[in-house]
Amino acid sequence: MAEPDLHALAHETFLEHVHSFEFWFGAVRGYLAGREFGRHPDTPVESLPDAEREQLVTVLCNYCIGETAALEGAGGLIRIAPNRATKVFLATQTVDEGRHLEAFLHRLGELGIADPEAEIRVRALPELRAFKERLAELVDTGDWGAALFAQNVILESMEFASFHHHARRADAVTREVLLGVIKDERRHIGFGENELGRRLKRDPGLGRRLRAVRDELDRQVLASFDHTLRALGSTVSERDELSREYLQAVERLGFA
Amino acid sequence: MAEGVRRRRYELDDRGFDEVPPRYRRYYRRWEGPSDSLAPNEVLCPVCKIVVRSPRELREGDRIYCMACMSRLRVVAGDAGRLEARVEY
Repeated sequence: MAEPDLHALAHETFLEHVHSFEFWFGAVRGYLAGREFGRHPDTPVESLPDAEREQLVTVLCNYCIGETAALEGAGGLIRIAPNRATKVFLATQTVDEGRHLEAFLHRLGELGIADPEAEIRVRALPELRAFKERLAELVDTGDWGAALFAQNVILESMEFASFHHHARRADAVTREVLLGVIKDERRHIGFGENELGRRLKRDPGLGRRLRAVRDELDRQVLASFDHTLRALGSTVSERDELSREYLQAVERLGFA
Repeated sequence: MAEGVRRRRYELDDRGFDEVPPRYRRYYRRWEGPSDSLAPNEVLCPVCKIVVRSPRELREGDRIYCMACMSRLRVVAGDAGRLEARVEY
């Protein structure tokens, strides 16, 4: 018998399935099987000119800060998530974030960085560090909506746009690692936007809290975004376009 | 298009979209950028920029799912008359 049309599923059935570990296993197997640290072992390693390598190390160090923030954030959100399905989804996201951090640290090692933790401390953008601290505070307050907004809409949208842009101009190994991370990020941004969109319809007061979070964090996020894109050699028009992309999710939720 | 007109059916094939379990892959494909033309059974997910495919021709008001980002989408007529998708929370 032919399988029923996926699009005919009841919304609750669809959500139950896509938030599950079962779905996650089936999804990540497609693009992680046979990879080591996010890339195929046979992908040729290019030798980078010194200046390019130096820029890449700085960018990767800051990706590590973002991924550490996301790892700690996703793990902390499990405790305050409102139901079993969101807790299970966040468990899958926590695994994803841990994998991203490990893949970026491994790439730093391949680029000759013997002590990545020390290098990250030296090269960290102050705005990104401040964002990470504020995200941790929001999780600690137990405000599910505000913390999820900071993590899965603001941070994930910035990473999604940055990684896309970077992947287009990166060396083969870095590109492969980034493309794998982007595939995970699709689930994370979608989860955050949809969960908050549903919640905003039921809780009008949430909009005020999210707007306050956005007003507070926008400057840090956009400054981090700008630094990263400059380090990648982006033009002014590219930076403007990517900032618009980053803001689209925020606009769809009604915070233009 | 009048609702009474019979919708065209499509046999969905696997286009190599590897971000969902194998049984659902035929419902999705990668977007190739602004020059990519969408078929009458396809719309672009506004959240994650993946092309969502349906086994039947899409019409305004249809609901479809993007499994890559877990969004429910409503098909609408865009400014240029082309079908677009809006997130329906």
